[in-house]
Amino acid sequence: MNFSAQSKAFALLLSVGFVAGCSSTGGTSEEGGEYGSDVAAVDQEGGSTVYGGDDQDGVSSSAMTEEERMAAREQAEQQALREVTVFYFDFDTAEIKQEARDVLVAHARFLANNPGQNVRIEGHADERGTKEYNLALGERRANAVQRFLIVNGASRGQLETVSYGEEKPAVMGSSESAWAQNRRVELVFE
Amino acid sequence: MRDHQREVTTTGVPPWKSPVALSVTLHLLILGIALAGWSWTSPVEEPSPRSISARLITQQEPEPSPVVDPVDQQKRDEERRAEEQRQREAAERQRQEEEARRIAEQKRQEEQKRLQQQKEQERQEAAAKEQEARKAREEEAARKKAEAEAKERARQKAEEEKRRQEEARRKAEEEKRRQEEQRKREEAERKRQEELARQEAERKREEAERKLREQQLEAQAEAAQRAREEEARRRQEAAAAKAREAQMLSESEKYQALIRERLSQAWYPPSSATEDMTARLQITLLPTGELSGVRLVSSSGNTAFDNSALGAVRSLSRYPIPNDRDTFERYFRQFTIEFNPRRLR
Amino acid sequence: MTHWIWYRPSRALLAAIALIFFVVSGARAELLIRITEGAGSAIPVAVVPFAESGQMPAGDKVGSIVQADLTMTGEFRTLPPEKMLSLPSRREEVYFRDWRLLGQRYVLVGALTRSGDRVQARYELFDVNREERILGETAAAPASNIRSLAHHISDKVYEAITGVPGAFSTKLAYVTLDTANGKPRYRLQVSDVDGKRARIRLESQEPILSPAWSPDGEKLAYVSFETGKPVIFVHELATGKRSKVADFPGLNSAPAWSDDGRSLLMTLSKDGSAEIYRMNLESRQLTKLTNHWAIDTEPTYDASGEGIFFTSDRSGGPQIYHMETPGAEPRRITFGSRYNARPRPDNDGEYVYYVHQRDRAFHIARTELKTGEETILTRTESDESPSVAPNGRMLIYATRQNGTNVLTVISADGGAAYSLPASEGDVREPAWGPLVR
Repeated sequence: MNFSAQSKAFALLLSVGFVAGCSSTGGTSEEGGEYGSDVAAVDQEGGSTVYGGDDQDGVSSSAMTEEERMAAREQAEQQALREVTVFYFDFDTAEIKQEARDVLVAHARFLANNPGQNVRIEGHADERGTKEYNLALGERRANAVQRFLIVNGASRGQLETVSYGEEKPAVMGSSESAWAQNRRVELVFE
Repeated sequence: MRDHQREVTTTGVPPWKSPVALSVTLHLLILGIALAGWSWTSPVEEPSPRSISARLITQQEPEPSPVVDPVDQQKRDEERRAEEQRQREAAERQRQEEEARRIAEQKRQEEQKRLQQQKEQERQEAAAKEQEARKAREEEAARKKAEAEAKERARQKAEEEKRRQEEARRKAEEEKRRQEEQRKREEAERKRQEELARQEAERKREEAERKLREQQLEAQAEAAQRAREEEARRRQEAAAAKAREAQMLSESEKYQALIRERLSQAWYPPSSATEDMTARLQITLLPTGELSGVRLVSSSGNTAFDNSALGAVRSLSRYPIPNDRDTFERYFRQFTIEFNPRRLR
Repeated sequence: MTHWIWYRPSRALLAAIALIFFVVSGARAELLIRITEGAGSAIPVAVVPFAESGQMPAGDKVGSIVQADLTMTGEFRTLPPEKMLSLPSRREEVYFRDWRLLGQRYVLVGALTRSGDRVQARYELFDVNREERILGETAAAPASNIRSLAHHISDKVYEAITGVPGAFSTKLAYVTLDTANGKPRYRLQVSDVDGKRARIRLESQEPILSPAWSPDGEKLAYVSFETGKPVIFVHELATGKRSKVADFPGLNSAPAWSDDGRSLLMTLSKDGSAEIYRMNLESRQLTKLTNHWAIDTEPTYDASGEGIFFTSDRSGGPQIYHMETPGAEPRRITFGSRYNARPRPDNDGEYVYYVHQRDRAFHIARTELKTGEETILTRTESDESPSVAPNGRMLIYATRQNGTNVLTVISADGGAAYSLPASEGDVREPAWGPLVR
């Protein structure tokens, strides 16, 4: 597997942080007792006391805050959405369907956050009708997806479009279901 | 952090076992391993080669490469010899030049002595001449002054006159310029007004044309509609006429219909036949119904079409005719057949 | 010449004189029978196997090639030789009564003679009912080219009977698709009009589309995906040399030649949407001919060589449009269906042929340009790529039959269909070559 310098540095930092989090364990129990007496009241005015404590060195951070939990969930959702890289269309139209929008937004955000990531947008059509018109229709579908991604954050330089018309069907056959599966745009990440 | 350290020491844990020190050393270890073991360069991303996956079927022969000659050793030797010769010749030349210089120097010195003697004589003569010349100059100078003064007066007068004349010319020119400018302005104005008038006229013309075209299109649409309505009327009338015919069918008409049917089935009009092609043939029959003669009375203009009509007529070996001899003689002894396709699509 | 018209009596006067004459002579008005409809079926023709003297090259016989040619048009029904009562090879041997009995309208007889490496054909065509010879010729060709000799005879026979020049000596270009080593293999091929003598011109693992013949029949323009995107090439058939003429960003597709062979119409999308351009092939200069956000593609010159037919979906779905002159305001031609595409006009300016959707099926249809009348020509249901024969009498198109794509020839008015035998895999994108004199 090839890693870029960026991701290696990131991994190194992560491991450093992880190791920093769990350093030696000897003497913790004894320190615990002393800690208790060390916690000093910071503010003694009035009747209230505020206890300020130093960072609890020695406790492994397995407990996450609410914010962190939500962020992790969102990231997982976005990743799941991005599993989908094929989008389907109705006959003789390049209109992006409602169910595709969230997925495309997820892709657009991913591309916005990873400017080095390039993607090729391949447009297709089903076999009915004429080849040349289908070539233009495939391109129109690819352009629609391209525009959508740009509007939602991707930059033009990351995107490349190509149309194959009816020449590269995903499913062979002359049934409604085969045709429906061939009227598509595919995202190919490079 | 200080508190931590104090805490640790009071509980009696040796300094090098402290958690901080341990963690620091671990960090350093890891850093060391990482730096030593990992490469810091990112792999160069090569674009996947888009090999041209097409293959031409015809072959072309490759061109032969040109041949290069090696340097000749002989030439080098020759060049060396030539250089040596040049050097020798140059040394000779130098010696010759030096001698010539010595001789030239001697000659110069002798000449100089001669020149000095001549100069002395000339100086004495020149002094005497100079005195005479001084007298003559003084006299001339006086004459010239008087002349110069006179000329100056004359020049001044002439200049003044010139100035007056020039001023007069300038005034005249300016006047002309003013007049010309006025004329130009007036002309420009006239032209502008003419242009405006022309543009207006054009606009009106274009509008008139547009209206004409609109009217023409409307007229065409109306004419097309009328034609369609007429066609519908014709078809209705034809159907009605057929019904009438069926009622009034007489003997001769029955046989006419039969002949028409048989000939239709036997006629193969060429595929290029159009509705305006009409061929007329005159038929002569024998009382048996056999064909006695065919004559092309009027051609369709298309040979293939005419031939198809002739072929159809000749393909019937016997024509259906009424048994009654009088009816036959009257209608079927000689009659005309006209071939003219009507498309029913 | 115009002067003597003044002295011609008017028609009314002539009619009056004629009427008087008839009344005086007592002649009856002659019966007139009008025939307005023909048999509506194919003309029966007998192609008698030619007599042979000398060694004939192996392969199909001249007679059977002529028979197949005439049958392909849908306008003729040929008599199987086993039903013939005699096998004449010259006029003296022809008994017209026999052929009449067999219901034949025309009979073709001939003889082939081999001399050296050439074959000579002497042939005659007879009208059975008129008992007249309507065509007689001697033609010769190298023995290796005997198929061309047969097609030449078919051209002459067709023209003698119908008055229209035959298109049997023309070529077809088309694309086949099969698999080799698990990968798709596209091949651009050129063959005779009956599919024989096919020669591969280009082989690729990526699609090849839209072959288009130059007017002199010497070059093909086509779209190839060999570089990963659609690019237009011009390919010289005699030398195999080809040049890339359009490789702009986006689409480079749908090439169509001008009548003088100097420029190509094409569809490019480099300026945003698919538009039609004209490219001068020498200077490579482009002229933009359409300017609309819709898809404008599949351009082709009309019979006049100046106007242009094309497909556009500016009205919502693809329809056929026509520009009187390049760049003029387009006029819509098709109305009856929501999908009409890929116009191909005939050379006479009478009809334009195209792909037409009716209910759920895609047929080939044609519109008569004078009247606007539309007719559906095919019963097959997934039709594509119509191409008109240069004599306007036949049409070839691609369709699906039993799960594979095949080429079918029909007569221009939709009668009779003749499927070209497909040797390997899938055949598509037929283009009918020009008449070459």
